[in-house]
Amino acid sequence: MADQNMSPEQLKALQEKIKNMSPEELKEFQKKQCIFCQIASGKVQARKIYEDERVIGILDINPANPGHVLLLTKEHYSIMPQLPDDEISHVFMVAKSLSNSMLRSIDAQGTNILVANGIAAGQRAQHFIAHVIPRKEKDGVNFVLPQKTMEQNEVEAIGNKIIAALGGNIEKEEKTQIPMPQLTQPKPAPEMKKQDKKEYKKDDKDAAPKTGIDLDDIAKLFGAK
Amino acid sequence: MTSDKSREGCIVCGIVAGRVPSKKVYEDELIMAVLDVNGSNPGHCFVIPKNHYPIIEQVPDHEIGKLFQVSNKISTAIFESLGVQGTNIFVANGIPAGQTVAHFTINVIPRKENDGINLQWQPKQLDEEEMSTIEIKLKEQSKNIGNFEKEKKAAKVSVAKPVEISDEEDEFFSKQMRRLP
Repeated sequence: MADQNMSPEQLKALQEKIKNMSPEELKEFQKKQCIFCQIASGKVQARKIYEDERVIGILDINPANPGHVLLLTKEHYSIMPQLPDDEISHVFMVAKSLSNSMLRSIDAQGTNILVANGIAAGQRAQHFIAHVIPRKEKDGVNFVLPQKTMEQNEVEAIGNKIIAALGGNIEKEEKTQIPMPQLTQPKPAPEMKKQDKKEYKKDDKDAAPKTGIDLDDIAKLFGAK
Repeated sequence: MTSDKSREGCIVCGIVAGRVPSKKVYEDELIMAVLDVNGSNPGHCFVIPKNHYPIIEQVPDHEIGKLFQVSNKISTAIFESLGVQGTNIFVANGIPAGQTVAHFTINVIPRKENDGINLQWQPKQLDEEEMSTIEIKLKEQSKNIGNFEKEKKAAKVSVAKPVEISDEEDEFFSKQMRRLP
């Protein structure tokens, strides 16, 4: 862990060092700083519930309820958008199985699966975590998802922005009707490329969206310096 | 596209069938993602399987994989297009967990500071013995996790096959879910 009592000079030197790191070095550096990477590699002890070559499920030491499992990737990803598709599949198939285990072994009456991306969403660690939380009636956990009512045209406009950012995934068959972004986009819209293709293959929908998103920008939202 | 396994009276099946209006942002053979006028924040998306599965345990593994892949892509798209400060991926499984509709749904929720949403908890204090008991029970039950169900290529041909849940399973799940509308 980085020393909290560093002098301003030391801190500056460290920041400079981080700035000059190659992406590989940076990843290695983050890994060394990350408590969850140390748990995944067995250097730090935890109550392990499940482990395979890609993920590890441990009991949370600050649980919402007894049996609250933190499901971690062994690979270090600071945020969910960095996970490749096959990793996502694997993590959540395991999460489903853990949820099932909770219903059967510790008298859970329900479960929550929760991922927080960003401090505003409640992310506290710099390592991707899927929470699987056993629930019972009146267990004192009080998740609040208020219902806000929006205007239909507002929903339409926001939906179109998301569609554009997804790369126009919807209405694949009707190429002429691919919804265009409502606002001017700084980056070329990815669906333009798709339109050049003569025909769509089904596999297209599985291709990663070419959103041109800069993960560094997202990482900054998480307090990365 | 309607599903062979759609359920009458299910509002989510109604959305899938187009009987209930919504704003579609993603669709493929098995999955649909929509916005509606009652989200928790502007841009709140609901990612749903087209087939009617009340709870996550009933959703086949390969569909779970795809549903969360789509959710992750939507979450990334929300970051890029809506200028939000975070996103939550949230599933409520069963009434005590806050599930309100008996059709498995993944919520992808855009977040900003002080937006009135609370997905935090007050940590519970457990002693060593309680932790150990839970650990042993959960670990024992979880030791056979793996061997995930792959996509069945022939699934589309065998149309008439109903929900693949044994009676015993069905009874177990209905017991868990008996209070779902």
